[in-house]
Amino acid sequence: MLLRRSSRLIKPHIGLYSTVVEPKLNVDEFRTIEDNPVNHSKQHIGKYYKIDDGLKRKLFSQGGLPKKYEKQIKTFNEACLMVRPQAIEIMEYINRTDFSKPVVRYLLYGERGAGKTMTMAHLAHYGHENGFCLVHVPYAPDWYKRPKEFGPSATHEGMVDLPLDAASWLIHFKSQNNDLLTKSEVGISKTYDWSKREQTTAGSKLIELVDHGINRAKYASDVIAALMDEIKIASTAGKIKTMVLIDGYNSFFNEQTRVFSDTRKKHPVTPDKVTLTQPFINITNFDWCNGVCVLSVDIFGMLGWERESYLPRYLLGKEGFEHLDPFVPIKMDKYDERQFDSCISYYVNRKWIQNTAQGFDKELKFLSNSNPYKLMELCNSV
Amino acid sequence: MLKKINLNSLIPLAQRTCFRNYSQEPAAVETVHDDDFRVLNLRKTKGTQQQLSRRPKPPDVPPPRYKQMAVDQDWGAVWPGPKTFHPASVPLPVRQGWVPLNKTVPGKFANAELMKIPNFLHLTPPVIAKQCEALKQFCTPFPKGLETEEQQEKHFPVQFISSDYVHGLPTIRNPLSRIVTIKLKLSQLKLDEHARDKFLRLIGERYNEETDEITIVTDRCPLKQQNFDYAMYLLTALYHESRTVEEWESSKQEGDMEYYNWHNNQSKVTSTEVLNWGLPGDSKVEPPQEYISCVENLMNEGENEYNINKYKESVVKMLGLA
Repeated sequence: MLLRRSSRLIKPHIGLYSTVVEPKLNVDEFRTIEDNPVNHSKQHIGKYYKIDDGLKRKLFSQGGLPKKYEKQIKTFNEACLMVRPQAIEIMEYINRTDFSKPVVRYLLYGERGAGKTMTMAHLAHYGHENGFCLVHVPYAPDWYKRPKEFGPSATHEGMVDLPLDAASWLIHFKSQNNDLLTKSEVGISKTYDWSKREQTTAGSKLIELVDHGINRAKYASDVIAALMDEIKIASTAGKIKTMVLIDGYNSFFNEQTRVFSDTRKKHPVTPDKVTLTQPFINITNFDWCNGVCVLSVDIFGMLGWERESYLPRYLLGKEGFEHLDPFVPIKMDKYDERQFDSCISYYVNRKWIQNTAQGFDKELKFLSNSNPYKLMELCNSV
Repeated sequence: MLKKINLNSLIPLAQRTCFRNYSQEPAAVETVHDDDFRVLNLRKTKGTQQQLSRRPKPPDVPPPRYKQMAVDQDWGAVWPGPKTFHPASVPLPVRQGWVPLNKTVPGKFANAELMKIPNFLHLTPPVIAKQCEALKQFCTPFPKGLETEEQQEKHFPVQFISSDYVHGLPTIRNPLSRIVTIKLKLSQLKLDEHARDKFLRLIGERYNEETDEITIVTDRCPLKQQNFDYAMYLLTALYHESRTVEEWESSKQEGDMEYYNWHNNQSKVTSTEVLNWGLPGDSKVEPPQEYISCVENLMNEGENEYNINKYKESVVKMLGLA
């Protein structure tokens, strides 16, 4: 009795017999106030959560969110992501994972616009909040389809280097993991000699290695290779936890690229002749622990004539499948009833859909086939 | 012609002149040469026309035969052999032919549609029964122990199919009768795994996977017997050839495999390594059978949602994520 009374005393603003209703947060049905993805669970499926602006800038300033979505964020004046069941599924798997065992590779697959990249972004946020070191490749096919610059590699004979792409990825890596890298005491296991005068000595911090790659773009690809090795070593030793996120992973196993071995653009090379490929194939291997790999296969990462199916074995090819096997394939589905309703209410709330004549949602559902991307495209004009 | 002239002469003269009063010719001239010239009568009157035409008398046709048929007649005697349809001999109200909607289909008389199609009026059940009864004296009893299909298949595994042709021509030969087909269940042959694989490769598309049946068709020799002998020779040769192991067969690589065998593939190496990673050297964990069959199904049956899902379930279970 005494206890109960004392508990009442904790809330002095509500009198014992007061008629004042306990203050209730006014939250829309389609939103969740739980902005930390670490706490997301099945009950949040289909709801929107907000990413803090500063954090968004930190994680995705160098890419990671689709361009059209970025535009929408600007229009809506907030960055909101829907919690998809597939993201929750992977989070549950990660929570259950024994981190002393080899890394588990998760592979997202699905039709175009099903939400693979957005789920990646959600998981990147999750990994960041959870203290993972993020190795996030926003869209790997970009390197092979639209390289910024290419030239023969200085260190590996017969290979092609993408120095600017490599350096900009290092910037991305640094911006995502800056806090973690500066705080942690993780040292490098061995000395790397870049040239006669440049070297990174054993024991120096990981961030020094990254900075070297950013400042000397010539060595950026080699720095990435070294960085991947060091991350694997550090993770296996238990010093850091690592989350690898690669969008468009199948492009590492394509038949051909638009990177050329000569300046006249006559001889296109295969992805394995590009220096950037090997490090990322290396980090998705199973021979390390204390980490998790979330990859995605994208039909648009393929060359034009190889877009017959969106299923992983087809997109990865024999080599890619054998490299990843055993992996956990996770299908990105279209919106179900609840997610679709939630998306529509969000658009209505943002005044993005203003014409709400009777049956408009059914029409949209029919036209878009509940595909998230198509729905977004359709709603641009509603 | 004669009658016509006479009739003309019967028409009163005054009336005829009245018709022609606008004519410049004098009417008297016509009357004078009445017998010599034919008259060009431009304004023929209806009355005269009707009088001129005469309907031909219908010929004497007896009533159709089916009207005199008894109900219990012997139909086999009426229609003993194959014959074109005849409306008068068939006592059935048959109709045939295409008509627009809501029109009556033409009856059997003068109906070319009924005559064009073949009929089986000579093969009514009582006639067949009668013929069978007559043929019975030439038949032997059905062999004992071959009542069921399984028994037949066991004792006579090879099925032999050919066609005989009967026709009324100066020659009794038909070149199509030389073609011989033999069918056989593959399970009837005693083949081990290697021999079966080789047999299937040799026989190619002649094997039906659904029925487990092989079919050999021979038609290169001019006679049926020769073709049959050739087919049996082929079967024998195939059987023995598939049982021999050639020296070069041992150099078969993974790329030459016709199906995916998990035990020969990278998947075995990686999954075993994943499971044994970090474990002390002695204890060996083998991947579970469920996972193995899932990978094999995924590779052999081709990729689809179902197989991918099964693969996912097995991997989740194997890696202890469930």
